[in-house]
Amino acid sequence: MNSRKIVAVLFSKMLLLLCSVFLLSLLVFYVSRLAPGDPLMSYYGERAEKMSPQEQAYARSRLGLDEPLAIQYARWLQRAFRGEFGISYKYKRDVREVIGGRIANTLLLGGVGFVLVFVLALALGVVCAWHEDKFLDRLLCRIGTVTSCIPEFWLSVVLILIFAVGLRWLPSSGAYAIDSGHNLLDRLKHLILPLTVVVISHLWYYAYLIRNKLLEEVRAEYVLLARMKGLYRRQVLFRHCLRNVLPAYFSLMAISVPHVLGGTYVVETVFSYPGIGTLLYESARYKDYNLLMLLSLLTGVTVILCNTFAQTVSERIDPRIRREDGESYEEEEQ
Amino acid sequence: MNEAFRVVGIRQSLQLPAGRVRRNWRGKPLLSALLFVLIVTGCLACDLLMTKDPSYMDLQHYCVPPDGTFLFGTDTMGRDIFSMIWYGGRISLGIGFGAAFIQTSIAVILGAVSGCAPKSVDRLIMGATDILLSIPNLLAVVLLQAALGKGSVPGIAFVIGITGWMSMCKVVRTQVRQIRNSEYVIASKCMGGGFFHVLWHHLAPNFVSSVLFMAVMSVRNAIVAESTLSFMGIGLPVEVISWGSMLSLANQALSGRAWWMILIPGLFLVVTLVCLTNLGNHLRRRVNRRHSNL
Repeated sequence: MNSRKIVAVLFSKMLLLLCSVFLLSLLVFYVSRLAPGDPLMSYYGERAEKMSPQEQAYARSRLGLDEPLAIQYARWLQRAFRGEFGISYKYKRDVREVIGGRIANTLLLGGVGFVLVFVLALALGVVCAWHEDKFLDRLLCRIGTVTSCIPEFWLSVVLILIFAVGLRWLPSSGAYAIDSGHNLLDRLKHLILPLTVVVISHLWYYAYLIRNKLLEEVRAEYVLLARMKGLYRRQVLFRHCLRNVLPAYFSLMAISVPHVLGGTYVVETVFSYPGIGTLLYESARYKDYNLLMLLSLLTGVTVILCNTFAQTVSERIDPRIRREDGESYEEEEQ
Repeated sequence: MNEAFRVVGIRQSLQLPAGRVRRNWRGKPLLSALLFVLIVTGCLACDLLMTKDPSYMDLQHYCVPPDGTFLFGTDTMGRDIFSMIWYGGRISLGIGFGAAFIQTSIAVILGAVSGCAPKSVDRLIMGATDILLSIPNLLAVVLLQAALGKGSVPGIAFVIGITGWMSMCKVVRTQVRQIRNSEYVIASKCMGGGFFHVLWHHLAPNFVSSVLFMAVMSVRNAIVAESTLSFMGIGLPVEVISWGSMLSLANQALSGRAWWMILIPGLFLVVTLVCLTNLGNHLRRRVNRRHSNL
């Protein structure tokens, strides 16, 4: 591929990204305003109900909520290009500050969870493929199917019931105790339960995928050849089969970032963990428009970037995947 | 290497099963099917099973642990959990099937159109699907739910159905494209097979198993979605009994250490989901059971 071609491809991908982000913002903007409910309530709280109609009208115009939707959107877009996303109605601070204070928590939970899922799934998949159709494989498959069916929120509640209410070993909510002064041990203690839920609920999906891919790979002719040349099973599995499976796994993991992210959102709300998920949920419920817009844009951009990344990587690694049928890896997703 | 010479790649001859009947049942999810049928019949025939009125609030007996009169105990509002399980199961399963029906119809129609259409239309549909996929599912559901107003059973099914079809649509489209370009379809067309002939005799038999599998999985996902939404307080209200709305009392149950309010409905939910998964996996085209070369 010459350099001009690369630039052209990059350019078209950037254009597509921009288009998607623009459409996404438009969609979220309109749908969020469709819903009944009053943003004044989240700004003024209880006071909004006692206000006279004139006061309400004044407050509305001060927040720029009295104009037609199209103008509101144009105004929002104009400011967004300058990097300003307005203030949060509920927290009365710049939305960037509100999110900035919380994003680290979500990245910690989601990031550590993602890495754990990635590594453990690989290990589990290889173990299952190694012991194909033996007792261990069957047992792991059974357990895996059951764990992958448990809804995240229920698993969270049950773990809280056992470890926080029953045994009193671990805290049931939050990211740190109020009086502990943010020490590391306390932080870890608060992370154990949410992390367990995130890992358990996603683990088997990917482990099973690795297992099945490996089983397919093991049936290829080259494996027989390698064995005939005197290589051990271990060598063939790790050096040959695993290497062929990994690219597909990498690109799948890249697409699955939003999946894991969505999972942490639910877990965050159950554990009242101060992260992006709780914030997103709150802002959608209480009409905190500016906060909602920035949050959904952030999530959307992450998703789109991950998809583009996955597609590019798999195209680079495996030239058989052409642009025309770039989604062929989707088939294994279900 | 210890031995100088090893034999690799020996194929064992296929073991013949002991009896014909046994072989027919082997590997089929019998237990799952049985449990699932039991739960569904129990929910459909809930009028016969219920020992109490599920929506009656017996305020003298609230938070009673399981005993002889209240088989599974009562919740914080004094409702009998045993009766609520069967009564609420109808709603949970109904939402699951309803939402799955909506999802599958949209996905199959759009996917098939996109798979057969010229490139520009295909691009358009897939681009739109990609953008919709990039909206976090939770956000989409919360927004739509709020736009529809108070949670009702058809409303929830609609919202879950309308937000969950995208990935299935992509799979259908990929499948259609793959099959469409295969030799036997071209051969059929060359021999004068019309569009509907090709669709019915060549395309449909090939993607029906994976569509069926995905449809069963979407029933499962819709049940999970409904219970998650109701649990978070944005789905069905507490008065409308479903497994999810029963679990939405979990926070109160935790402070009262009422394990039965959390474990029993949850177990029913999980058992149903596991059964559905096993049944769905069985429907999926079997992995090619050739002999391993390793």
